[in-house]
Amino acid sequence: MYVSVRLAEEKCNGCRMCVFTCPDPNVFNFYKDKKKISVNASRCKGCGLCVVACPKEALSVSAG
Amino acid sequence: MSTRIITPVAEFADLLPQDYRELVANGPFFARRGLKDLGTFKEIIEEHPHCAGCGVALGVRLVAASLPAPADTIIIGTPGCSFFGLAQTAVNYSNTAFGNQNAVASGLKRMLSLRYPDRHKDVVVLVGDGGIADIGLDMTLHSWFRREKIVTIMVDNEVYGNTGGQESGMTKEGQVLNMAPGGKKFPKIPVFEIAKVSGCAYAAKVTVASPRMIEKAVNRAVLVARQVGPTYLQIYTPCPTNLKFSPDQTVRVAAEAEKGYYAVEEFITDEAARCLQQLTTES
Ligand SMILES: Cc1ncc(C[n+]2csc(CCOP(=O)(O)OP(=O)(O)O)c2C)c(N)n1
Ligand code: SF4
Ligand code: SF4
Ligand code: SF4
Ligand SMILES: [Mg+2]
Repeated sequence: MYVSVRLAEEKCNGCRMCVFTCPDPNVFNFYKDKKKISVNASRCKGCGLCVVACPKEALSVSAG
Repeated sequence: MSTRIITPVAEFADLLPQDYRELVANGPFFARRGLKDLGTFKEIIEEHPHCAGCGVALGVRLVAASLPAPADTIIIGTPGCSFFGLAQTAVNYSNTAFGNQNAVASGLKRMLSLRYPDRHKDVVVLVGDGGIADIGLDMTLHSWFRREKIVTIMVDNEVYGNTGGQESGMTKEGQVLNMAPGGKKFPKIPVFEIAKVSGCAYAAKVTVASPRMIEKAVNRAVLVARQVGPTYLQIYTPCPTNLKFSPDQTVRVAAEAEKGYYAVEEFITDEAARCLQQLTTES
């Protein structure tokens, strides 16, 4: 079981609060053109800080 | 550092790990990257071993992304959780014996000024509260008294995090910790106030709940240290593991503190203010 962040892409508005809140480097990628982020779940430690920071409820931490 | 050092020779480039090539092609060295570019460039190759939700790791990450000239910066560390900055930033890093950071930084800064008289080389101490306020306090203060042109940044988690939870001089009065079961008996050491009267030309107190403030303060601290004198930055970087709150609450804990005892504060001498003013006019 590997607990990590999941993104519901359709809810994301590209505000980047998550990017500035994650203590781990290179978990989030931000695409300026699309105004979206993507996650590299293998680098995530599942702390949930980004989940708390996201104003759109686009992020969650779970195993699976 | 010369960017030539990290650029692979064309003949060998394809033998190097993909991660390394990405760092060269899209790291923080060649193009100017700031905090606002986080998420669009490669910060580091390695992953770091900090606990989930670590405020120190977040503080180190935000500081590294805010440096005005990462390729010409050396970070000076000392034992503590901040030491993992070594594995967390792509910036040159040198470790020191616990507490010796400002003495080592002073020597390096003087040596770099002689070796590169025409180029700014930024020497940035980035260490824990125990490293500065306890074992390294004498060397920190003396570097300020001597007006060494270095930046000192404390990532203050109010505990010896790395060694399992002893009290530091920066722990809050009354705080109970794994190895301070009776609670701390005296208040936080006022390092920020001491910095103001000990020769620092610029000082700021911020928290990880305000990344843009961190960026502003890091930039000011580095620019003032280049031209005027020592600078000090104190960042509240809460530790969920030792202070025993849930790791998803680190930024909220910092934001709460910011409303009270850890309110944002800035100190600047007239000379440093003139220096910053001049730099703004020039750019
Ligand atoms: C001379 C010496 N004494 C003690 C230690 C053990 N030691 C390593 S880290 C540390 C405490 C670090 O606390 P702090 O500076 O607050 O950093 P944190 O781990 O909290 O980030 C201690 C006592 C050491 N490495 N060297
Ligand atoms: S859960 Fe924590 S480590 Fe994972 S992406 Fe979110 S903030 Fe980063
Ligand atoms: S905080 Fe939420 S809405 Fe903002 S970029 Fe991240 S996932 Fe998207
Ligand atoms: S002990 Fe605290 S400061 Fe150290 S890595 Fe863990 S959360 Fe961070
Ligand atoms: Mg500490």
